[in-house]
Amino acid sequence: MKQQAYAAGSVTESIVAFAQFTRSHGLNVGIQETQEALMSAECGLLIHREQFRGALKAIFCHSPEECQLFEKLFLLYWDTNPIDLQEVKSRTSVQGMIAKKTNTSLVMLGRGRTDKETEEGKNISGASETERLKKTDFSSLGSLEAGVLEEIARKLFQQMAVRLRRRMKESRRGGQVNLRRTIRRSIGYGGEPVDLLRKAQRPKKTRLIVLLDVSGSMDKYSYFLLLFICALRENFRQLESFIFSTSLLRISKALRPGSIQRVLSVISDQAENWSGGTRIGTCLQTFNEKYGRQILNGSPTILILSDGLDTGPPALLAEELKKMHRRSKRIVWLNPLKGTRGYAPTAGGMQAAMPELDEFRSAHNLNCLLDLENILAYA
Amino acid sequence: MRSFDNPSQIIEALDRQQYIAEEEFATALYLLLKLHKPLLLEGPPGVGKTEIAPVLSALLDTELIRLQCYEGLDVNAAVYEWNYQKQLLGIKLQEGSGLSVLEKEKHIFGHEYLLERPLLRSIMAENRSPVLLIDELDRSDEEFEAFLLELLSAFQISIPEIGTVKAKHRPFVILTSNRTRELSDALKRRCLYHWIDYPDLEKEMRIVKKHLPDIEEKLLKQVVNSVQQFRKRKLVKTPGVSETIDWAESLLALGYRELNAGAFDQTLGCILKSAEDISQVRTENADVFM
Repeated sequence: MKQQAYAAGSVTESIVAFAQFTRSHGLNVGIQETQEALMSAECGLLIHREQFRGALKAIFCHSPEECQLFEKLFLLYWDTNPIDLQEVKSRTSVQGMIAKKTNTSLVMLGRGRTDKETEEGKNISGASETERLKKTDFSSLGSLEAGVLEEIARKLFQQMAVRLRRRMKESRRGGQVNLRRTIRRSIGYGGEPVDLLRKAQRPKKTRLIVLLDVSGSMDKYSYFLLLFICALRENFRQLESFIFSTSLLRISKALRPGSIQRVLSVISDQAENWSGGTRIGTCLQTFNEKYGRQILNGSPTILILSDGLDTGPPALLAEELKKMHRRSKRIVWLNPLKGTRGYAPTAGGMQAAMPELDEFRSAHNLNCLLDLENILAYA
Repeated sequence: MRSFDNPSQIIEALDRQQYIAEEEFATALYLLLKLHKPLLLEGPPGVGKTEIAPVLSALLDTELIRLQCYEGLDVNAAVYEWNYQKQLLGIKLQEGSGLSVLEKEKHIFGHEYLLERPLLRSIMAENRSPVLLIDELDRSDEEFEAFLLELLSAFQISIPEIGTVKAKHRPFVILTSNRTRELSDALKRRCLYHWIDYPDLEKEMRIVKKHLPDIEEKLLKQVVNSVQQFRKRKLVKTPGVSETIDWAESLLALGYRELNAGAFDQTLGCILKSAEDISQVRTENADVFM
């Protein structure tokens, strides 16, 4: 592939190569766009540099972020002098966001995943064992049990997702009279509307926003909670998910392919994220400022998965939660610590957050997570 | 209908229509006219996204058809609907006519019983391409977006009872979005894209001057300068260009010839539309903005 304009033999070739070049750097440019780029050159836009740049930008880009990337690529491609090539080599690595190759297992899971082979050999099954595991606190799991529980969790989460979908489909009933179909049917009866056909009520889709704490103190839980979020995605197409500890990271896009392995590798790339203390307040502030306007519309349900051990000022957390509360349908906070005997939300952050929460639940074992189904079904 | 040979001509023509555009935007419009590909405009509120549609239709001397999107907008309101009352009457009138059921059906699903809504109207134009404005698309549901795909790529609409209606003159489509949600990739790929941002000081002054030719240079500069300062602050609602014009107009109407502390305080509601913003700005010294 040609990396610079001077390498191409003709104008047409250089434009086509530019399309390929931008595609390889993450712009969504297909054959149609390439054709249109050529057509725009034919329309006489090739004469002025600025016009040609504007035209290609209008055709190739679909968001402000892409526009920024485009500006860089345009300069890189059309303005490179062969003499500067040595230096350019390093500059061309404006690669895409996510590197796919990493398949490393994670330290964050709080348990080594190296002994997988031995797990598979010992196949513990049986209803009572399953029941016991469902009630076991994630944090007290041995590495062997964890593997088994993971399997169970996967299966159960999947069932839950299916159930949620079905419930939404079957609850359609009643609704307005569908005039269009009624009239059509009435022709057969000479114009008397005998059968009143009704419009099915469209299932109301709630949007769900999940914020997952991946700080050190949540280590033992993060993995299962992430599995849980993946399962939720099956049902809520408009799921937005974020992870946070000292800073906030949006993982909605990464979660899309449904493969948890990839999400984990993305998170592990951001390793510094979950080592230090948690700053929930600051993270929620970032969320409100950066994404609030775009995401907090149509009153979504917000799900926060965190232990509430905040190192920042509690007042900030309370204020940001209040802002979120104003624009959402309800806020559900899942705290794994709530499952521990004798726990009371006395930590500064948690106490500050309490008044803004609609629902405060535990999330330390599988049963707790599955119970959430009922809340979400009517969310 | 006028035709343009290059983007510079568009800039000039827009300027005569009191719309100030940069070269990049003019190029995007030029491509819209040449390639007949829909143009998606995004940007913060109040920077003239919607405004371009009536201007363009005046420029081309053609009809403007507007569709305002909202949550729950469906096919019946956007594309077409059957005139049910008329259909019921039609059936009654045919009662003694001895027509077969098939003929009756054909009759009451004819064109005269069809209510055209904006999208259908835009492709039924007889003489020349109209300008179709689909405003604030991000407010509509995802389903509706999917429905637009057929229209935007093939410029045709399928009505089960009649068949496919194809455009004789393809409309010039302008879509706007405030980015309150991400539009689907499929839709974006069918569109040209342009991001309109807040104008810089000099351009904004030109825009205000266009709309209010009588304004004095001093007041103009003060007003635009303060608005530019406002935009640098973290406000709940950042003022757009239309607010700047409103503000300048109010100051003119109140007879102010320059922006002093009293005028500033009195008219702050024209430019800042949230109580928090107003109190935040009031805590600072008014001189900072002037």
